[in-house]
Amino acid sequence: MAVKTGDWVHGAWQLGRFAWRSTRHRRTLAPTLVRDSVSVVQHIREGRFQRSLALIAAFAGLLGGVEVTSEHYRGSYGQRVMYTPVILGPLLGIAGVLGAINRRAARTLLPLASCLMLGDGVLGFFFHIRGVARKPGGWRIPVFNIVMGPPLFAPLLLGIGGFLGIIASLLRREDDPIHELAWGTRWHRRPAWVEALPRRLTREGFVVGQDIREGRFQRILAGATALSALLNGAEALYSHYKNRFSYRIQWSPILLSPAIIAAGLGAIWSKQVARTWLPIVSALALLDGAVGFGYHLRGGLRHHPGGIKQPLHMVMYGPPLFAPLLYAATGFIGLLASLLRRAD
Amino acid sequence: MVKDTSLFGIFRKENDQPHQLGPMQRLDVPMRHYTDADVVDVVVVGVGSAGGVLVQRLAKAGWRVVGLEAGPFWDTERDWVSDEAGSHNLYWNDLRITGGKDPLALGANNSGKGVGGGSVHWAGFTPRFHPSDFRVYREDGIGADWPISYEDVKPYYELLEREIPVAGPAYYPWGDPHGYIYGPHPLGQVGAVLVNGCTTLGIRSVAGGPVAILSGSHGDRPHCIYRGFCIQGCKVGAKQSTLISHVPDAVAHGAEIRANAMAARINLGNDGRVTGVTYFDHAGQERCQRAKLVIISGYAIETPRLLLNSATTGYPQGLANSSGTVGRYLMAQAGNVILGRFDEPVRMYKAPPAHALTEEFYETDRRRDFARGFSIQTVGPLPIAFAKQMMVAKGAWGWGLREVMMDYNHWSALGLLGEILPWADNRVTLATETDQFGLPVAHAHFDLHDNDHKLIEFGKNTVMEVMRAAGAQEIVQEPRYAHLIGGARMGNDPATSVVDGWGRTHDIPNLFICDGSIFPTQGAANPGLTIQALAARTADYLITLGAEAAAFRPGHTVMPPLRTELSPAQTTGRGVPRLTSRTPNVHIGLGGLAPGGKA
Amino acid sequence: MNKRKHRHADLDAELSSPDLDCQPIDPQTGQPLPLRAQVGYYPGYQTLRQQRFWDAATRDVVMRRMHEVPPIRFFTLAEARQLAAVAARIIPQDDRELAYRIPIVPWIDERLHSGRIDGYRYEGMPADGEAHRLGLQAINDIARALHDKDFIDLTPPPQEGILRTLHDDNPPAGHAIWARMPVQRYWMLLVQDCIEVYYAHPFAWDEIGYGGPAYPRGYMRLQHGQPEPWEKDEVRYSWRAPKWSVSQEYTPLGGGHDTITPGQEGTH
Repeated sequence: MAVKTGDWVHGAWQLGRFAWRSTRHRRTLAPTLVRDSVSVVQHIREGRFQRSLALIAAFAGLLGGVEVTSEHYRGSYGQRVMYTPVILGPLLGIAGVLGAINRRAARTLLPLASCLMLGDGVLGFFFHIRGVARKPGGWRIPVFNIVMGPPLFAPLLLGIGGFLGIIASLLRREDDPIHELAWGTRWHRRPAWVEALPRRLTREGFVVGQDIREGRFQRILAGATALSALLNGAEALYSHYKNRFSYRIQWSPILLSPAIIAAGLGAIWSKQVARTWLPIVSALALLDGAVGFGYHLRGGLRHHPGGIKQPLHMVMYGPPLFAPLLYAATGFIGLLASLLRRAD
Repeated sequence: MVKDTSLFGIFRKENDQPHQLGPMQRLDVPMRHYTDADVVDVVVVGVGSAGGVLVQRLAKAGWRVVGLEAGPFWDTERDWVSDEAGSHNLYWNDLRITGGKDPLALGANNSGKGVGGGSVHWAGFTPRFHPSDFRVYREDGIGADWPISYEDVKPYYELLEREIPVAGPAYYPWGDPHGYIYGPHPLGQVGAVLVNGCTTLGIRSVAGGPVAILSGSHGDRPHCIYRGFCIQGCKVGAKQSTLISHVPDAVAHGAEIRANAMAARINLGNDGRVTGVTYFDHAGQERCQRAKLVIISGYAIETPRLLLNSATTGYPQGLANSSGTVGRYLMAQAGNVILGRFDEPVRMYKAPPAHALTEEFYETDRRRDFARGFSIQTVGPLPIAFAKQMMVAKGAWGWGLREVMMDYNHWSALGLLGEILPWADNRVTLATETDQFGLPVAHAHFDLHDNDHKLIEFGKNTVMEVMRAAGAQEIVQEPRYAHLIGGARMGNDPATSVVDGWGRTHDIPNLFICDGSIFPTQGAANPGLTIQALAARTADYLITLGAEAAAFRPGHTVMPPLRTELSPAQTTGRGVPRLTSRTPNVHIGLGGLAPGGKA
Repeated sequence: MNKRKHRHADLDAELSSPDLDCQPIDPQTGQPLPLRAQVGYYPGYQTLRQQRFWDAATRDVVMRRMHEVPPIRFFTLAEARQLAAVAARIIPQDDRELAYRIPIVPWIDERLHSGRIDGYRYEGMPADGEAHRLGLQAINDIARALHDKDFIDLTPPPQEGILRTLHDDNPPAGHAIWARMPVQRYWMLLVQDCIEVYYAHPFAWDEIGYGGPAYPRGYMRLQHGQPEPWEKDEVRYSWRAPKWSVSQEYTPLGGGHDTITPGQEGTH
């Protein structure tokens, strides 16, 4: 194990400095890029990446919105509640974009939309469990009904977009001064509902909030990575099982997920794991997601009835295009987590 | 079941088990019971596709309704099985005699017995008729015109597509283009064969519908599990039958469904109006239900048979038959099955038999030497049906039959659905044989005519081309028919038709007919949706007339409003938004209000 | 699997001891194939193993079909024997081990005994039961005319030859009977009745790789003929009918278009 040389961030930092020094006198693009990436890393370490994370949450919301629109179309919107994620996904998208542009939106609209999205994800999870139960045979034939019923974990995957939005709303902006006072101290007015909460709870909340503001929430994000990998892995397992694992590559997300889960959970306990294994498996997940996207695209183009002459059938009957991107998002969250600082 | 003498009885079996209409759906409400002394507002004879919708509408509007059904009131969990041979009892298996040069096969899968009727075992394809279907004679100089137009039926198509609800593509390009309320289904390999073959040949096709099968859950009806047993009765409750979509609502609103009651004759009073229906109850006792109005919904064979069996003094050739048209213009669609063998496995028993089709050849094409056209649809015969097809298509028996059956999983089947025109000599008459009640059975005479032969030949060859383009190595075909239509057709002229555009018989003002038998032509579309839509339309007409429904005032026309409030619960507030069209000859909304009988 | 206990001592013809001449052969070696408990290209696939995934009503119907073979009540013993010999040529089972052969005649007899029909009769045809009786007589007439023996006493090759004349709509004898019912309509009634019994049996489903009952559990792999997790991939072996057999030739039904029964077993 490459534990001794494992300070990944530190290595990147040194590499950046070296590159910066060795190229500072040349007027090319490269030094600018290096300088930028170094400052991105610095911003992440310090929790000053609200704008980027807000954009990412917006992207997740839009992507999830598109995915859920087509998936719920396949399910015919047979229940009214099925419209909610279709509305909330784009709402999160708008809130994220506004949050990236506007400081106020990032502290008001973004957390609101994100909380709704997260709540809807949890609600959807329960509706999907109920949906499996209401299929003929219900939970007595779980394998078939999970595969052919509503995708159990998909709503929670959508909820992760909301989770990212909440985190983003708590962060500082890239252009914030380093020593700005925390939200929730007397310099900020507290909303009335916060005052109504028990004192101990709010104080705990402020500590967490402050940690996030300062980029010290590696554990939280590592845990989120593990959860996301679990949900994504389960989704991949039953949808690839439905397709009989016709291609060997279909095993890759199923095999990779346990490693990400292990690394994510390990990162909660160990700083070393957070700086070694977590970024490695996360990068693999990113790669796997990209490869999967390519395969799904190819499958959609080639293997649906009517072939390329029937582009609409590709959407309906091809493999889900964006599912591998959600898998890649897991890797992205993992990489982000590895760059953060810890609460202690 | 409960005693007829009680006014209210809980709708439960003797063993106190609830009456199941699906894995979740139960019929757990008290059912109204009328006595022989009651004169109800309406008796509907036959609670099938049309009858189920009629009793629901009329009961919800507050009418006192009795539905007589010759077959049982199915408990889907106990009475139906997921087995091909075991589903024989869903069909009308009582004796009928069939003859002519090209005799129809009756029984299995073209008429049902039991509450829900044929909708219990239809494959569930629900295309609309095209606007041209309503004016065949005007356009082609052959066949017949309808007294109503597409615009009259269109609002009811849209309404029934929501009530069923119909799953299908977001855009359906043929006839009056439209979209569907529920999303399309995943494709089985047979559907892929149809889409691949059509796409290769440049023929447009649609996939995943339109079918009366749920692609998403609908209240207490779960969505399809793709088991392929549609025509054996859908135990899942995903495929619509009026048994599960309309009859529960009818019972909840006070309709009585009297199962195992075989109508013997319609009784005529001295004033030339019908007074009720004589029937044999479940114990074989002859009984009479009196009513102010009678609607016959017995389908193409039993409706004419009942009218003919009701002959009485003054009406020696049967009720409502002053024109001599009752029983005539019987139709069936050409339903040749084209079978193709593929190197790769197909396993056509999976997925609903009905899930992809093309109507590219539906309309008359002047370049062809015949009028009207055909559709190509997926079918999915299970082993017994497939073996019987192979016996005819390949001449298989003995070791040959065993051999080809061992390749069952390599075969795919597509169905032709060709329009056969109405001919006066294709008719239902009474045979000399009698049934278990002593009632003369029906005799169906059927000949194909020149146009029909040409259409079938052309259609068959087209389907074979599609099959070849999809990659089949060996292609064979079996001639057969699908769907029965006609026998009591509607029209404006009492001399050449039995009923008017609302289903009222020309001869008797308080006798209506509402089922597939009143269609003057049949198009190349499966008739189920149109039957249900016309039933809702007739119900709206009757409800608008109210107490005057049983009377007839010449020159008095009504324009019933579309009564969406009479839809079963859960019809609104779900499903995807549909595309509606504004093609030049179709006007939304107003069309539905036009009076019948203007053609 | 438990061996089926049922035996109809009166239907010996149907369950005659294996006759090597009647077995399908391996085209490579020309040798008869060994008897199998399960014929077909899906070795080890058994629908009955899935019965815990079936609903109670369906399980009840299929298990009765498996284990409660009805007694002969409609036919006389001689008729039942002859029909068994006929059915053994229409759906030969010589490649199956005796215990795994599917009884056909008892179920045809049960249908006729209970008066169950398909909902119609062709004009010019007697009722189904009478048609079967007349048909058996006519077949025997042909056997006597061609071979001077009863049908049941003939070996399978001439038996197939006789049935072939019905398939071709060209029977050399029994004209008095054929005047009362068209050959082709009888032939189709006969073959259809055999088909309805044979392909309703779980052993036949295993043979052809058909999924069998599917409720409440349905199917998940709809395309490309993929097997479900509990189904089996095809493992083909080559075989052909015994050398003398004329039933593997797939000649078109005789009699022309006018007498061909349009198929009616539901498709659409």
